[in-house]
Amino acid sequence: MAKKRYPETKILSKNFDKENSWTFDVARENGAYTMFEKALKEMTPDQVIEEVKTSRLRGRGGAGFPTGVKWSFVPKDVDKPKYLALNADESEPGTFKDRWLMELDPHMVLEGCLICAYATGLSTIYIYVRGEYPLSQERLWGAIREAEEKGFLGENIQGSGFSCNAYVHTGAGAYICGEETGLLESLEGKRGHPRIKPPFPAVEGAFGCPTVINNVETLAHVPWIIEHGGEAFAKQGIAPDPDNPRSNGSTGTKLFGVSGDIKTPGCWEFEFGITVKELLYDYAGGPLDGREIKAVIPGGLSMPVLTADELDVPMGFDDLVKVGSGLGTACAIVMDDTCCMVEASENIAHFFADESCGQCTPCREGCHWMEKIFKKFNANQGTRSDLDLLEGLFVNIEGRTICALADAAVWPLRSIIRKFRHEFVAKMTPEEQAAEKEAQAEKARETAGVS
Amino acid sequence: MPTIKINGRDLEYEPGETVIQVAHRNGIDVAHYCYHPSMSPEGNCRICMVEVEGWPKPVVSCKQLCGENMAVQTESELAQSARAGTMEMLLVNHPLDCPICDQAGECHLQEYSYELGHGESRSTTPKTHLPKNVPFGEEIVYDAERCIKCTLCVRFCNEITKTGELAMANRSDNEQVVMTSKGEFTTNYSMNIVDLCPVGALTSRDFRFKSRLWFMDFTPSLCTGCARGCNVTIGGRGGRFMRMEPRENQDVNQWWMCDPGRLGYGHVNSETRLATPAVRDANGQWQPATFEQAIVAASAALKDARESHDVLLDGGATLEELEAARALASAMGGQARFAAATGDDADEFLIVNEKGANAKGAEMLGLERQADAAPAAVLVVERDGNVPAALRDGAGAVVAFVTDATNVPDSVRVAFPYGSWAERSGLLVNVDGRVQELRAARQVGPGNLSPAFALMEELTGELDGNHVPRDRGELVAAVKNEKAFAEVAFPAGVAAGQTVGAGS
Repeated sequence: MAKKRYPETKILSKNFDKENSWTFDVARENGAYTMFEKALKEMTPDQVIEEVKTSRLRGRGGAGFPTGVKWSFVPKDVDKPKYLALNADESEPGTFKDRWLMELDPHMVLEGCLICAYATGLSTIYIYVRGEYPLSQERLWGAIREAEEKGFLGENIQGSGFSCNAYVHTGAGAYICGEETGLLESLEGKRGHPRIKPPFPAVEGAFGCPTVINNVETLAHVPWIIEHGGEAFAKQGIAPDPDNPRSNGSTGTKLFGVSGDIKTPGCWEFEFGITVKELLYDYAGGPLDGREIKAVIPGGLSMPVLTADELDVPMGFDDLVKVGSGLGTACAIVMDDTCCMVEASENIAHFFADESCGQCTPCREGCHWMEKIFKKFNANQGTRSDLDLLEGLFVNIEGRTICALADAAVWPLRSIIRKFRHEFVAKMTPEEQAAEKEAQAEKARETAGVS
Repeated sequence: MPTIKINGRDLEYEPGETVIQVAHRNGIDVAHYCYHPSMSPEGNCRICMVEVEGWPKPVVSCKQLCGENMAVQTESELAQSARAGTMEMLLVNHPLDCPICDQAGECHLQEYSYELGHGESRSTTPKTHLPKNVPFGEEIVYDAERCIKCTLCVRFCNEITKTGELAMANRSDNEQVVMTSKGEFTTNYSMNIVDLCPVGALTSRDFRFKSRLWFMDFTPSLCTGCARGCNVTIGGRGGRFMRMEPRENQDVNQWWMCDPGRLGYGHVNSETRLATPAVRDANGQWQPATFEQAIVAASAALKDARESHDVLLDGGATLEELEAARALASAMGGQARFAAATGDDADEFLIVNEKGANAKGAEMLGLERQADAAPAAVLVVERDGNVPAALRDGAGAVVAFVTDATNVPDSVRVAFPYGSWAERSGLLVNVDGRVQELRAARQVGPGNLSPAFALMEELTGELDGNHVPRDRGELVAAVKNEKAFAEVAFPAGVAAGQTVGAGS
């Protein structure tokens, strides 16, 4: 009997298939802004925050920080303005889930922003959209204008006394501006150089004022949480590990994307729990004909790779960490047997070297250094000591910088050189290959001798 | 006060202080490049990383605020490996051109490389190349390959001068400093970035390729370009003034000095410096003389002088010289005056309009300021700016103390070589009334100069049989006894009978 397909759950994506889903009228027919109205009229800001905390909603941008907790860090009584910076920079390679939301349901995104604004007592929303997303920008601006016309943005919204305005800010195409403090610098008109935390943005963010920074998909979840309650949301997906008091589980639904060497790339919404394998084979159509999947990065580019044998793992925050990887943006990049992992490594290193903002020494100098070493392998000039050197560089780069870009560069590369060492050996000089063979044989003899 | 533990020592801190501040204040050395106490910390160079016990990652001590119960280790295995790792990264694309780099010898990259660096490079791949020999304004040259992107220069222009001429451009190891303005600095303080630069990326066009540092002699002294009295270090070699850099004094110039002051030493290295005393013979021709011969000739000339019995001094003359000049004038029956230039370039930072480095001191001693030409028997001139040709030649003086032979008026019969400010020791009172010590810089100037105050004291003795020439300490004591100086603090070490910082 054929295994039952893991079901789709369309909450965020409920309007994706509807004609003109991005217009106010279609969105309103499907309930847009009713939960914002509910929050405004029936709930206190604290109740909204409590509901989001109960839902265990975790940030969908990659770091997975509990959203309700983040909101509760925003100081209540300050004389400064407070801001929401919606992180719509979506610059992680292979990731396109936020684009779908912004293009196909911008009013849901805006409604989530407004509920967040109400809950944290702020009145200005900046939507920082990456420069390469012109349609997202257009549709968000359109949604803002429509919402203003219909009285869901602006002064004294729906007679509630609550006022809020929203603006789209266009990025200029730098990966680092998706890092939340780099985003803030860019929003302020400066170079996208991440800031050292603390102070955290909730206390001192944009223009020195308290700022909430959330991912697009994160806030798009909020209307549903208000409608059905945090408990209902928390029941979806993967419950927290009862043995681990610090576990937050992976509750609710999530947009999962697949790209790369795969038959039908795309984006689907599921409750957390679908395995990588189910996602790739049951929805993304499996490998191209006559090919085999070799490696998968489960979320964007910044996570360690999984080999073909490691795909039976649920796409969840903690579950992927347990197998040495991470959920990241939950948009998987697939590499099949035609993909050379050494070339892939050079490509990955090139990306991070190119996107390193240049601020911290280890990342500025180290990312390009790694790229040069991979280049050397691809020119069949690599040596065993180059692999040792890479391991040494990983130590000197990871955790030694202001932001996580350097970590994000190290994680996939380290996993690749460990899991696919043989591909690197195959690109070494003949002498080095012989030496490696000898070393492996020696190791085998030792192991045999010991046992 | 709360305390933090650094390397096992309990150290007090003010809330808001960073780990590096407390460490440095307590004599614990923490390597740093991008940190400077005058500017906001950036935490970008990553060399100041230390371990906080119980924390998973090393932290940058320049940005890490102190906290109660924090235990910091600056020399633990983690801290050392973090620093060594950063050093390796800093050097991987660095050209390692120390043999031709002006910074060699005072380079922090060398300093920490010596301490933390790998003996052998692990790099087997080509270096990334970046622009070299890039002019930043007229006085500064930038080398992006040597640059470690600490952004101190950028922050200086943003935070100290607030003129914003520099910015970082490009990303990754292509990052470099660029000029945002049209290739010109609008600030008069641009060259401070050369001093700030911890490596050889920013060099002074004036000094580059002139001398290896270790062949130079350095003397702490003062700038006399205006009456601010910025504290400086003068570097000399073989009689040449090589360069001048600011020396920290929080009460006067913090860490900085202006470009005009820094470059205002042209007259010190003049080819026409007067190096020995000279006396006009019966035919009016100049003949070199010993100091003894010159003193005899000068006292004779002064005894003959009829037109004036006054002494006109350069506004940069020291308190000791002014005191000696007062005695000399008094022995002749005249008075001592001074002349000093006044500019219109004062800013809200360091430059003041008063150009007489000791004009304040002269006024406190009761000397009159002379603006127009007036007769004087003795002239003391270092800077044309202070004593312009009209005053100098209009005095009709018979004895002159001059720095440059071209500054001797026709009326003069005896000329004494007068040290530039870089070769003289003495006290100056700056515009705020602070008494500071000028020290003769080693290896600068023609050498063998007798101090002008001593020569004047001898002349006074020749003219007034009752006058016993005073030494420097006695002159200082006499100044201290003046009413105007009753409440004034004098620098330590300048006591009676003590000659400080004599040139060699």
